[in-house]
Amino acid sequence: MPEFKDLDPLLHSQLRLAIMSLLIGVESAEFVFIKEQTGATAGNLSVQIDKLSQAGYISVEKSFRGKKPLTTCKITSKGLKAFEDYVRNLQHYIGK
Amino acid sequence: MENESKNLSAEESLKIIHEMIDVAKFGLHDNSFYFLLWGWVVFLANIGHYYLMVFTQYPAPQAVWLIALPASLISVIYGYRNRKSSSVKTYTGSIIDYTWLAFLICLIIIIVFSSRFSYNINPVIMLVTGMATFITGIGIRFKPLIIGGILFWACSIISLILPFEYQYIMGAISVIVGYLIPGYMLRNRSKQLKTRHQNA
Repeated sequence: MPEFKDLDPLLHSQLRLAIMSLLIGVESAEFVFIKEQTGATAGNLSVQIDKLSQAGYISVEKSFRGKKPLTTCKITSKGLKAFEDYVRNLQHYIGK
Repeated sequence: MENESKNLSAEESLKIIHEMIDVAKFGLHDNSFYFLLWGWVVFLANIGHYYLMVFTQYPAPQAVWLIALPASLISVIYGYRNRKSSSVKTYTGSIIDYTWLAFLICLIIIIVFSSRFSYNINPVIMLVTGMATFITGIGIRFKPLIIGGILFWACSIISLILPFEYQYIMGAISVIVGYLIPGYMLRNRSKQLKTRHQNA
């Protein structure tokens, strides 16, 4: 097992990487959609979304649809750059 | 999905990335309902129109196109319901939606001014239908729809060459190759992707 020292630890995690990979292909996605697609629990997903949001990788908008709270996530340009770097480093490791 | 980073290998990382990108690329754009609904409606209307015009003395064969009215209503209801439950927005999805809106505007103009086209509107409609189908195919990266779009254009050219009444036969053929065959293939692919994703 090689050491992934150069890989962004924030992205090198199963769920956070899945969230970012999902958001990279869409304009925006709701919390429920990300939960369905990743199969994560609401609690865990909420924690990981907070971490990504605090790092500035994603923007989170909270609103309401009718009476239900609605959380919409979007990737930021900082997040996009971090994701691209992560993939580049990953390819570098695989190519080694 | 667990949030364990210790044992995540490079290959596993790539697999996650691919899987999630596939969801955004393929899983979200199942427009097959519209292709199948309109494929059958336009097919039946074309065949009906041809039959009434050639084999009967019925004075208004174009009346068969009234079946487009309930089909429009079904489309609107289906679209509204889907929008309500839709929890993701994609750039591709927006472009495809606007392409079909533009198509609808063209279609209305063509139908309203059909007398100006000497009622030779079928080949013109096939041209714009081909364009919208082609763009949708490119957007969702689905070859049968891209080919379907090209075949609409081919059917349009053939219609322009053949005598007038054959336009309706060509119209029926064009929706089989341009809407129905790619529509059923699209539906199958979406089902397969859904199953694969659920089992992953």
